[in-house]
Amino acid sequence: MDTQKQTTRLLDAVLFREIWKAMKVTFKHMFHRPMTFQYPREKRTIPDAHRGALGLLRYDNGQERCVGCDLCEAACPSRCIKVISEEDKSLPLQRYATEFYIDITKCVFCGYCVEACPVNALAMTKMYEYSTHDKRTLLFDKERLYEIGEQHLEDAKKYLYAHNQEHDDEESRAYRYHFPQPIEKTEASDS
Amino acid sequence: MAHLEDQRETVYKVDPANPETKDLPILRTEELLLNMGPQHPATHGVLKVILDLEGERITKSTVVMGFLHRGVEKLAEYGTYHQFIPHTDRLDYVCAMYNNFAYCRAVEKLLNVTVPERAEYLRTIVAEVQRIIGHLFWLGTQALDIGAMTVFFYTFRDREILLDWFDELCGARLTTSWYRIGGVERDFTDSLETKIRDFLAYFPPKIDEYVVFLEKNRIWLARTVGVAVISAEDALGYGLSGPTLRGSGVDYDLRKYESYGAYPKCEFSVPVGKNGDTYDRYWIRIEEMRESIKIIQQCMDQMPEEGPVMADVPSVTLPPKNRVFTNLESMIQQFKLFSQGFDAPPGEIYCGTEAHKGELGFYIVSTGGGKPYRLKIRSPSFIHMGAFDYMAKGYMIADAVTIFGSYDIVMGECDR
Amino acid sequence: MGLKPVTTPDTEAATISLNIDGETVTAKEGVSLYDVISSMGKIVPAMCYHYTFDPFGSCGMCLVLQEGKKSPVRSCTAKATEGMEIRTDGEDLFAARKKAVEKHLSVHPLDCPVCDADGHCELQDMAFEHQVTDLANAKQKNIPEDTRSLVLDFNMNRCIACGECINICKDVQRIDALQFMKKGGFTQVVAKGDHALDCEFCGDCLAVCPVGAITNKFSKYVYKPWQLRKTTTTCNYCGDGCQLYVETKDTEVVRVTSPLSWKNKWGDRGDTVNGHGGICVRGRFGFQFIDSKERLKEPLIRNETGLVPTPWIEALDTTAKRLTDIKTRYGSEAIAGLITARCTNEELYVFQRFMRTVLGTNNLDSSARYGHMNFVRAMHHALGINRTMNTSADLTKAKAILVVGANVTETNPVASLRVKAAIGTYKASVIVVDSMQTNLAKLASHPVMVKPGSEGAFVKGLVKSVLAQDLIDPDATAQAPEALSALKAAAQAVSLDVVAAETGIPVETIQEVARIFAEAPRSVILCGEGIVRQPDGYNHTLSLVDLAWVTGKLNKPGCGINTFTEEGNEQGAVDMGVAPEFLPGPVSYAQAEARQKFSEAWDATLPDAQSGKSLVEILEDCRAGKIKALYLVGENPLGTLPKSFGVEEALSQLELLICQDPFLTETTHYAHVVFPACTFAEKDGTVTNQEGMVQFVRPALDPLGESVLDWHIMVGLSNGMGHALPYETTQDIQTEIRKMLPGYYNLGEPRPVVADAAAYLRNGYADSVRARYADGRVQESSRPYGLKLIQLIYHSGKLSTKASGLMDISPNTGALRMSLEECERLGLAEGGRVRVTSDHGSLELGVQADVNVLPGTCAFPEHFNEPPVKDLVRVVVDPVTHVPYFKSAQVTIEKI
Repeated sequence: MDTQKQTTRLLDAVLFREIWKAMKVTFKHMFHRPMTFQYPREKRTIPDAHRGALGLLRYDNGQERCVGCDLCEAACPSRCIKVISEEDKSLPLQRYATEFYIDITKCVFCGYCVEACPVNALAMTKMYEYSTHDKRTLLFDKERLYEIGEQHLEDAKKYLYAHNQEHDDEESRAYRYHFPQPIEKTEASDS
Repeated sequence: MAHLEDQRETVYKVDPANPETKDLPILRTEELLLNMGPQHPATHGVLKVILDLEGERITKSTVVMGFLHRGVEKLAEYGTYHQFIPHTDRLDYVCAMYNNFAYCRAVEKLLNVTVPERAEYLRTIVAEVQRIIGHLFWLGTQALDIGAMTVFFYTFRDREILLDWFDELCGARLTTSWYRIGGVERDFTDSLETKIRDFLAYFPPKIDEYVVFLEKNRIWLARTVGVAVISAEDALGYGLSGPTLRGSGVDYDLRKYESYGAYPKCEFSVPVGKNGDTYDRYWIRIEEMRESIKIIQQCMDQMPEEGPVMADVPSVTLPPKNRVFTNLESMIQQFKLFSQGFDAPPGEIYCGTEAHKGELGFYIVSTGGGKPYRLKIRSPSFIHMGAFDYMAKGYMIADAVTIFGSYDIVMGECDR
Repeated sequence: MGLKPVTTPDTEAATISLNIDGETVTAKEGVSLYDVISSMGKIVPAMCYHYTFDPFGSCGMCLVLQEGKKSPVRSCTAKATEGMEIRTDGEDLFAARKKAVEKHLSVHPLDCPVCDADGHCELQDMAFEHQVTDLANAKQKNIPEDTRSLVLDFNMNRCIACGECINICKDVQRIDALQFMKKGGFTQVVAKGDHALDCEFCGDCLAVCPVGAITNKFSKYVYKPWQLRKTTTTCNYCGDGCQLYVETKDTEVVRVTSPLSWKNKWGDRGDTVNGHGGICVRGRFGFQFIDSKERLKEPLIRNETGLVPTPWIEALDTTAKRLTDIKTRYGSEAIAGLITARCTNEELYVFQRFMRTVLGTNNLDSSARYGHMNFVRAMHHALGINRTMNTSADLTKAKAILVVGANVTETNPVASLRVKAAIGTYKASVIVVDSMQTNLAKLASHPVMVKPGSEGAFVKGLVKSVLAQDLIDPDATAQAPEALSALKAAAQAVSLDVVAAETGIPVETIQEVARIFAEAPRSVILCGEGIVRQPDGYNHTLSLVDLAWVTGKLNKPGCGINTFTEEGNEQGAVDMGVAPEFLPGPVSYAQAEARQKFSEAWDATLPDAQSGKSLVEILEDCRAGKIKALYLVGENPLGTLPKSFGVEEALSQLELLICQDPFLTETTHYAHVVFPACTFAEKDGTVTNQEGMVQFVRPALDPLGESVLDWHIMVGLSNGMGHALPYETTQDIQTEIRKMLPGYYNLGEPRPVVADAAAYLRNGYADSVRARYADGRVQESSRPYGLKLIQLIYHSGKLSTKASGLMDISPNTGALRMSLEECERLGLAEGGRVRVTSDHGSLELGVQADVNVLPGTCAFPEHFNEPPVKDLVRVVVDPVTHVPYFKSAQVTIEKI
């Protein structure tokens, strides 16, 4: 080991040079804009693809999209969805969800239900502030889910678009998809 | 780092046969049993270690695991293969993408599904981003555990950028579930590509910044150099993998040896340590971040511009959503896949993937049908904890935190 | 096609060998090629095939390549022949099958999300399996849904015209209620003549429909298959003991299915002798009583204000105290108990043990007393066995079947399919002797429509005719020549002409029937409520034994005498000794060593051998004030027996009436204590069907509210009375039954029985036979019409009236059923009213024309008490078996 190197090492040790180097970096950061922001006064910009709270959607004419097919319940990895369906006697061949629950305390926000939904009735929104003092209110029922869907309709549509659930953003806004094809009922004449 | 010696040799001991040796002060010597954890901030979750102490030296340590056991492997038997992906997010919850990747790769191997080229590149990029996140996380917490607070802030700052990028990519920062069996959930958008390119330019200087804080810092050196030394044979014997193994000088990296994803098309080197101590493992992780940047850079350049991101295997992969609305056959595909899952061929498969912690393996036994008959996860954290007693023997209590920190353990993965 | 089973009991088909996929297999000549392939374990997709009926060949999926033929052949309709070389796999076949699936898919609506079959749909499976991804020219049918039927909705948009529904209806059910019809440019399945479906509503069409074209109205759109939890259990509605899958979602029953499904399509046609796995209308659509709102949910105890909900512990304690009090004050003889035969074997066993050891009384009886006991006692007396002699498979394979007074289709619908299979598949001669135009009579080769109440006389006529035509089997009668001569002597009293006059059947027919029955190699007698529930049922059953004996049909394989039970576990009630004359086994209660054995096992003294009262005596003693406490488990004597029998007075005399029932009944109005019991869907245990098969009943749901299993209540009471019965689980009881009756469960197979008439023929046969044949005359009545209380296929007892589904299908019309001719003769239009008068009362009733009712007869379903037609009937009690007969009366009918 040559003397030069030894001297450097000795000086390094005595002068705490590595500490000064590090302190230099630290001091440099004093002139940076802070990386943190003041939540809740400031809020993050949330990307369109964000998987937030689920909402149920309606067609533009106000009809519920959900037909109660229960595929979301089957797809859900955490079994947090419960659909109870029934025949809508007023409409031809119509099935609809009489009750629709999402236990948001169990939900893992994987978005599989949205992927599964064959009518795009479900979408995730950018809503994430729903903490509460009462855990019971975290069982979102059909009414609440439609409410979320209405309040965050634009976000929901953006979500569907971002996740390739809807290919044309414009198209998704149109009332283009009736389900199922209307079939008139036979009059119960002979019975 | 040249004068390393096994400190176990020099452990201060009272000669039991001759306790009243004159040279030694007369001490009341009694073995002390110390429960470290499960409620301990440095145990990375809920790990409990029972330490047999002699003074401050560890003579024996018993690792008590299972505080975070959630029966994930059993859960897998009750859902379709597809449904298990979100569960893998919660194994190593700081690096969900790699778990997804490892799992999807295992199922693809079972099903013999080939992933489209673009998807392979995307997967590799995201996996390497995840590796950077993992190492940043490790670096921050390890430094914090040892006492260097500043590094923690800087690594978390940069990790935050990538997590936000994940958010934009898949909708979640941690529980990503972006990988799918046969591909990935969605393609990069232009904005994502720009952001990752920006990051590639931004990040390398930052690595140098972290190094400034640690590389020569005398406390850091004192706490890492020569701590938890494990020889190459022992490391192999204990089944260690990843940086922990490479730190001992074994050049073993599945990215090279199994050549999955787009790795074979990229040029990168695998940093290998010499001494098998904590410092080497730190150094490897730093170097791996630099290599990851290279890999991402190469992938971004080589990646085909267009192309599908999901394999087109109707019996396994979902149909495009717009077809589900209008075509019966796609609708049927959608319903069958979500309600019953795909029909996996009977057989068993093991597939290991080089996660940033080590080899993350999935062992799947299928008896046909939509659900695995048995799924076993070879999680590096768990395997590494097996070597803890050996590696901690003779070191101080304060080193215990460094040692299991140096494996980069996450109890979610360890206990499963 | 003639792909009926080629091997029948009479003929053996030739064995051929053929080559399938390079493997040489042997098969019977003439069977379907598909069957041969599936017997190798290879699954060739097929959507229109089901082993229970003839191949139809419409789906075009089961294609295989035959060496030497250019294009693929349909394996289902092709017959296996010697030396065939078949290939079942390959790219080309896959492509051909894929084409076939695409054809079906191209006209299928985009209905999966709403369709009930989604997830249990063969079309889905096939499309997925064949990886159909790109369909050209999909078009919609837009056919309106046919919702006219009461239970089934037909959505012909989803139909793939596989014809399974039509075929199973035609070939298995032999009802033929469905047909194809070209309508609106598409071939559709419609009810015959495009009317609203009106059939037995067995729902087999629903079960085999591979898509969602036929939908169950009661569960339409409320479920998806993956939500349901399936419990395999045994139906409780009749003695057939069909296997049910009760499918539940949370706490409600969504639907009931059975092993019959398009999913179980592989099998050999010959397997159908073991049943086709289907169920009847009651099992499939009559499940609503299980989670009915009317169910009792908590114990009730009567105080001044009426029945008041009381906590279990208090209710049990009060009841136990009051029972103990009555026992100490009046003695054990003052307590009696009745149990319904819908309970499980374990409950019946605990009940009789509870009555005999804890209460110390032998006054106990079950609802088997209403008729089945006649058959059991007769068989016990004559042949030393306690149940039917044949298995269901024997019925199907029989060459001649004599159905006497059994409206099998209505009482035991699935058992009737065995007879139908014998008619259709094996071409058996079936002789139906009945006073109703029953469903079987319409299919039978020899329908013999006798005057009401003369079935017994007809049997005697048959015996006489056998003797007269010398159709006697020499081997069978050789062992007891003196008995034969006694029978011959006794039969002198019977004149065929008199029988002909009584029954309204010409002598030649009687002779012919006797000949057919005696000459067939395998003859089976089936008797039902027309014998065992009619006056003199015991003796008539003995006459049937005579007939079987002289013709040598007692000990030959495939021959025997059988009956049908109405309630799910009547046979079990007998086997478990829930009758004063029997101990579990059943062994006679009078047998000292049997009593000794049970008394040791139970560590208690049993009541005296002479003690014990049966149902009728119990009620009479209640009326007389001798019995002070009555424990009714699921029994409702007030709703069952006619008013003239005085049940009301009897019950109001009691100091303590304990009713244990899932529902409030007529009887609970008099109850002091009402315990909420469970239905079969909540129970765990076994039931014994009429064949003697012990089958499992498994809990599909948790007990509703605070209702509790019947045996739990009994054990609770025994605890309260200080004689705790040592049972904690159903398995404890089963272990004891296994110990006491070795081999009873017999792995769910009927225990073999051997009829031995030797002792019976030797001891006292001559006297009894003389007495039986001497008095054969039906008493002439001044009232011209025979009123029959009949059973409907849609109902079983009173239980089914709690099932809303069955009440929708068959509501109480409150109308008397009369034949068309009679209606015309009386000048009655639909909705006309008549006054019906019997010796016991008079009633105004509506009238309903019923093609099944013969002229000179009128009928009313026994399931309904409103209007109280049952009160027109008088109870006649059998002198030997104490069976109360109250199912028929002579009435006059006037138009008003």
